[in-house]
Amino acid sequence: MAVANNELEKVIIQSVLEELAKKGLLSTKSKDHVMSAAMMGTPLHSDDSSDDMVTFPSLDEMQISNPINADAVKAMKKSTPARIGIGRAGTRPKTMSWLRFLADHAVAQDAVFLDVSEEFLNNNQLMSVQSAATTKDEFLTRPDLGRRLSEEAVKIISEKCEKNVQVQILIVDGLSSSAIEANIPDLLPSLMQGLKSSGIKVGAPFYVKYGRVWVQDHVAALVKAEVIVSLIGERPGLGTAESLSAYMIYRPDEKTVEADRTVISNIHKGGIPPVEAGAHLADVVKQILAAKASGVKFNQQK
Amino acid sequence: MPESSSQTITSVGIDIGTTTTQLVISRLTIENTASGTLVPHVEITEKEVIHRSQIYFTPLLDRDLINAVAVSKIVEQEYLAAGLTPDKIDTGAVIITGETAKKENAKAIIDALAGFAGDFVVATAGANLEGIFAGKGSGAALFSAQRHQVVINIDVGGGTSNYAMFHEGKAVESTCLNVGGHLIEFEPQGDRITYISEPAKMALHISGQRLQVGERVTLAQLRPVVKAMADCVVEVLKTTLLSELTRKLLMTPSLRLEHPIRKVMISGGVADYVYSQQGPTTMSEVTAYGDFGPLLGWELKNCLETAGFVLEKPNETVRATVIGTGTQSVNLSGSTIHLQEKTLPMRNVMVISPFISIIPESAQEIAAMIKKEMLRLQIDHSESSVALAMKEPRSMSFVNINLLAQGVLLGMDDYLSQNKPLILVIEADCGKVLGQCINANTNRPLEMVCIDQLEVNDCDYIDIGKPLMGGRVVPVVLKTLVFNR
Repeated sequence: MAVANNELEKVIIQSVLEELAKKGLLSTKSKDHVMSAAMMGTPLHSDDSSDDMVTFPSLDEMQISNPINADAVKAMKKSTPARIGIGRAGTRPKTMSWLRFLADHAVAQDAVFLDVSEEFLNNNQLMSVQSAATTKDEFLTRPDLGRRLSEEAVKIISEKCEKNVQVQILIVDGLSSSAIEANIPDLLPSLMQGLKSSGIKVGAPFYVKYGRVWVQDHVAALVKAEVIVSLIGERPGLGTAESLSAYMIYRPDEKTVEADRTVISNIHKGGIPPVEAGAHLADVVKQILAAKASGVKFNQQK
Repeated sequence: MPESSSQTITSVGIDIGTTTTQLVISRLTIENTASGTLVPHVEITEKEVIHRSQIYFTPLLDRDLINAVAVSKIVEQEYLAAGLTPDKIDTGAVIITGETAKKENAKAIIDALAGFAGDFVVATAGANLEGIFAGKGSGAALFSAQRHQVVINIDVGGGTSNYAMFHEGKAVESTCLNVGGHLIEFEPQGDRITYISEPAKMALHISGQRLQVGERVTLAQLRPVVKAMADCVVEVLKTTLLSELTRKLLMTPSLRLEHPIRKVMISGGVADYVYSQQGPTTMSEVTAYGDFGPLLGWELKNCLETAGFVLEKPNETVRATVIGTGTQSVNLSGSTIHLQEKTLPMRNVMVISPFISIIPESAQEIAAMIKKEMLRLQIDHSESSVALAMKEPRSMSFVNINLLAQGVLLGMDDYLSQNKPLILVIEADCGKVLGQCINANTNRPLEMVCIDQLEVNDCDYIDIGKPLMGGRVVPVVLKTLVFNR
């Protein structure tokens, strides 16, 4: 009986996998991999290949059956990353768009719950400190803790960071670690080059784990830089989980309010490319230094 | 950011055609349309025609010579009427169109007008460009973008019919046929022929009519000739296997017809007769302007409808080309660019594209490709400046853009040692960082214009205007557009 069950199971698994492969949802390689794992009764472990287990058809593929004006749908889809022109199956979304929705939602959750990797920090030679939040859960439920540094961080920064520089750059995970890993490798060198070639004195950038925007005020109080630039992961959405913002403030103090910050948002490969954003930010920082103000006060001077 | 959040520029368009000469002055509003927390995005937000000239007959000295002095008088007169002086004009274009473009003294006219028409007016001629300007002026480009339908605009003037096909607002194909309403001339309101042009002789020959200068003709005699010409105009839309007459009348390669066409828009002097309710019934109606334009329009309408095309009404007919020229000739660069210059505006900068496909991996290879192209075109021996055009860096990474900067500096070494300005035009949004990298990689004081988000092709000529919006963008005018290479 057990044998028969096993045989039946194999047949079911095989036909499901084949159906998925036929629809282009699963590469042949992944199919074989899963199949052999099922046959051997061994737990599935990911192979080293970069071959994704599930592949989606390209986003601009027409999903409406028999459109009256396919060109119009194409043009509209091109104008927005929103989920339009996806067709329907009766009153429900088609399987493909529903799966894509779930996948994008998973990517967004990963962006929030994963941490920036040690490897990434090493590769980019970033010193790491932590906010007053001790765990991810605490960081997410207690915004106030993400706005100030831990005691240990205060000590490290006071000891190691150069004081009274013109610009101090912080990399802050915020709500998307994915945004940090995706954008910083191109954004940071571009920004540093732009500042340095204008002869601006910049402190060594460092990383703040579990940080929110306001943590820059606490850092400013310690390093006494003129301008603090925080490169922080934005709250991920279903469109992209890799969007990053730059918050800039000129000499914050206890009277600082939100309107004192200058922000450039939407930095990611689908918005302003990170490498070009770096050059633009360098310009903005120069203007802030010259104006000795940021935020609304800065805008009013222009 | 509120800094100079909008600016207006005044643009002039001058169209010197086979039959008529016109001028329009428009005001273009450019604005930063991005919200405060985004990187600026400067674009042209409004185009308003503030002055339309009368429609003048193109002044000629004799059949092949345009009266440049009289043309500049017209321009002067119209400026006065508009209450403007040449120094108030920021940009624009003079376009010499149709048969006139073949005439010997086109260059002389452009020289005569250059001083008149402000600091930054470019002169262009060329059938393809003319057709595209007409299609933009007639509203065909907008129609294709708003309705998401392919539409073809045919600007039928005195000497030529200029086709431009639009898909999602972009010109995708163009061609030019030597058919127009003024190819046979008559005594105004009369029936005596005063002139028959070469292309008209070909049409006469094919349709078996033997009309001579000095003869009087009836409507019945003239109609088959005009119908033969109208047939040629429509044939170009239907097939790539063309009749002998159509082949002879084509002035550029024909349309490739890669998109199916259903909607057609007609502009130009003949257009009003295409959209009229009834055709001319007497010779005096046909020759009201001393040509056969009204009859050509009517025959064209019949041919198009018989062939199953749907005629769409244009916003502009006889003024389409001049309005297109005045309002559509200016492009804006991307809004994050790198400028360190004192030499703008620059005119007639030749574009070279040293990279055929993807940009190579090392700075040495990049430099070698640039050097090879510079040598081939003998740029280093000429006085003029060139613009290096490219699509995108190998990848949008800092490393690759920095390598590209090093490669460009190395490859342009000889050129830069002659103290010429470094001009780069890149399609991808990375002009600012590329300029920054170049600046960081050299000790040489450089004049540099590094702009992005513009599509230019090898051997185009471009004019780059003075920076606008506090140096955020530069206006750029492209002078040659050839689809059929």
